[in-house]
Amino acid sequence: MFKKILFATSATEACDHAARVAFDMARRYHAHIDVFHVLGVPTRGYSQVVVDLTTGDEVTLDDNYRDLVKEEIRSYYDHQIQTTDDFAITVTIGHPHREILRIARAEKPDIIVMGGSTGASGSYAHKKAATGSTFQRVAKAAHFPVLVINRPAASFWGGFSNVVFATDFSDAADHAFAFAFKLVKELNCEFHLFHALDITCFQTDNFHTQDTIDDQIRNAIAQIRFRYVSKMGDFKPYAMEVWEGIPFVEIVKYAREKQADLIIMAYNTRQTDDPEASIGSVAEQVILRANCPVISINRSVGKE
Amino acid sequence: MPEGTLCNRQPIQTDEALKTLLSDTGGRQYYQEMQSLPVDTPLLWETIQKTCRSRIRTWLSMCARCGMCADSCFLYRINDRDPKQVPAYKIQSTLGEILRRKGRVDNAFMQMAMETAWAKCTCCNRCGLYCPHGIDMGVMFGYLRGLLYQQGFVPWELKIGAGMHRVYHAQMDVTDADFTETFAWMVEENEEDYPGLAVPVDKVGADIMYTVNAREVKHYPEDLAEAAILFHLAGENWTVPSRGWEQTSLAMFAGDWEACKIQVESVYDAMERLKPKRMVGTECGHAHRATVVEGPYWAGRKDGLPPVESIHYVEWLAEALRTGKLKINPEKRIKEPVTLQDSCNYVRNHGLKEITREIMSYIVEPGYFIDMSPNREHNYCCGGGGGFNGIGLYRKQRNKALITKRDQILSTGAKLVIAPCHNCWDAIRDLEEEYRIGIRWSFLKPLILKMVEIPEHLKPEE
Repeated sequence: MFKKILFATSATEACDHAARVAFDMARRYHAHIDVFHVLGVPTRGYSQVVVDLTTGDEVTLDDNYRDLVKEEIRSYYDHQIQTTDDFAITVTIGHPHREILRIARAEKPDIIVMGGSTGASGSYAHKKAATGSTFQRVAKAAHFPVLVINRPAASFWGGFSNVVFATDFSDAADHAFAFAFKLVKELNCEFHLFHALDITCFQTDNFHTQDTIDDQIRNAIAQIRFRYVSKMGDFKPYAMEVWEGIPFVEIVKYAREKQADLIIMAYNTRQTDDPEASIGSVAEQVILRANCPVISINRSVGKE
Repeated sequence: MPEGTLCNRQPIQTDEALKTLLSDTGGRQYYQEMQSLPVDTPLLWETIQKTCRSRIRTWLSMCARCGMCADSCFLYRINDRDPKQVPAYKIQSTLGEILRRKGRVDNAFMQMAMETAWAKCTCCNRCGLYCPHGIDMGVMFGYLRGLLYQQGFVPWELKIGAGMHRVYHAQMDVTDADFTETFAWMVEENEEDYPGLAVPVDKVGADIMYTVNAREVKHYPEDLAEAAILFHLAGENWTVPSRGWEQTSLAMFAGDWEACKIQVESVYDAMERLKPKRMVGTECGHAHRATVVEGPYWAGRKDGLPPVESIHYVEWLAEALRTGKLKINPEKRIKEPVTLQDSCNYVRNHGLKEITREIMSYIVEPGYFIDMSPNREHNYCCGGGGGFNGIGLYRKQRNKALITKRDQILSTGAKLVIAPCHNCWDAIRDLEEEYRIGIRWSFLKPLILKMVEIPEHLKPEE
């Protein structure tokens, strides 16, 4: 399931929670871990000068600087690196999302692990030009599952055993289900299939009664059975529920109640530079609030 | 005194030499060696005799020192109207002096000339518009750069840039395989949203052969994707060459005439090989100048034209919008104050001033477009043209040079600046970095993609 992990890191505190999960996965599942860091973004037109994303300084990239940064990353993760014997550290320059996608395409990892917002200093204009966060841009385009840890993964004690799959019944959710089901089978997890019925629009619509909502909940349960449970064969340790409310809130609450150590869901946002995208995407809101890792899957994942 | 190991008269010819020069962080050793680089005065004078033709000689001798060019130069205005920044003074005290002395100049003189040629002139050619005799200092500075390059007096980054063209036929270390592979990657990323999206490589007889800036391949492949998507939506029969795809020329900025020829011939070879009806280049100003305006002369083409009709991206885009190949959703037009940067290289120097404004008329809600003052062929250089953007040694001067554009933008009140030119885009980005005036800046492609209507038959199945 996880033989090759790409851990994309800013090598700052912002990625510490992600590092804990990434290295734990590498150790537990005997995976190779690629620690990948984009040290600077290009600047000064065509020149070789980059802005160091950690210090904000303008630096001319050469082998010495590259080696120095590699060594810093090694020291930063020294404690965790000692727990694995199969790792590599790669540093490069470029725009972080683009370089993460580039190396992912070349290395074909089983999963990309990322931290939340880095708050890296970098360059003011670079950040201004980059519409959407690095995560948004990677999650939108990656052909691989992306695991993000934004908050301390309090309910992640090591390994995955209790997985919530939250569906919006989209095509991407079908891909997310295929990945989630493979994962729960291989890792012997409990599997919670969940749908949140969005009732936020009901505030302006008096014709929707509680009966209507109950009908829709029953329909959603039927859909879960039809779309997913029917494909699960004799797999037993599963449960399913549909709650009404604001989708991201319900997903986070449900995961907390089930003490989930992983949420898997679809990533459906297409436009990263739409100002509404960052609040419009359920996945992103879940990532911001969940206290366990979240794997987002777009509709390209699993495509050859 | 011998030439330096890094700073010398030899052009970069191999990847190894390129890497050696690159490893000299910031050009420290390079500039140190430049302090004692001897001037080969016989070679300098011989070159002048062979290459300095009547136009430049006449310009130099007929200049009346009237000073009409002074106010036309944004570097003069921004540097407290220093007389040493008057265009006529700048060229007379460098190229003019070299001719008067018959090439007998020393190291200190050449270093002064280098600073004048790369930090006091962006070759924007605005002065030529205001000179009563039509004397174009920008053209003469381009020529002076060639003499300086031949003698080894060239900024470190541009020696590297010219070397890149010699080794990679591109301004950066991007190989032909990288180019086609990156385009294929961009198709992979976008084909679900745009079914049928493809990038035909080396298709013979296509209507359009598209050429790019290597930086798009290296750092901004989204730009390639956007170009492919827009050609796809417009239903164009287009292709990219697997070799000869790089339209830019840092060699032109560097004054490396031989590399200019090598580079542009690689593009012309692709035209001859693929026989497209037209070539369309990306949103880059100097690339257009190098490949379409000056390139034919470097390649010795008697008709002064590239092998096939070659147009700038803005010309293709205006045509696609005019003829309805691309349709804009009126609801999605820009509805905020927006201004436009005129790229010197294809507006002042190639007459495309109305084309970009025609595009504005399609994509901006009436009443929201605000022209800079001055504008069109009278607009000022972005502040980073002619290679200025990338030279570390002259960063301070470059940052000061950005003030003109900053103030022009501020006067419009616009928060969005459309800059269909890589150099201008960089300079405007840098002026926001340096002065934080609260603007955004964009090429045309990403803006168009947000507002273009997708024909029914090209929509993805839901």
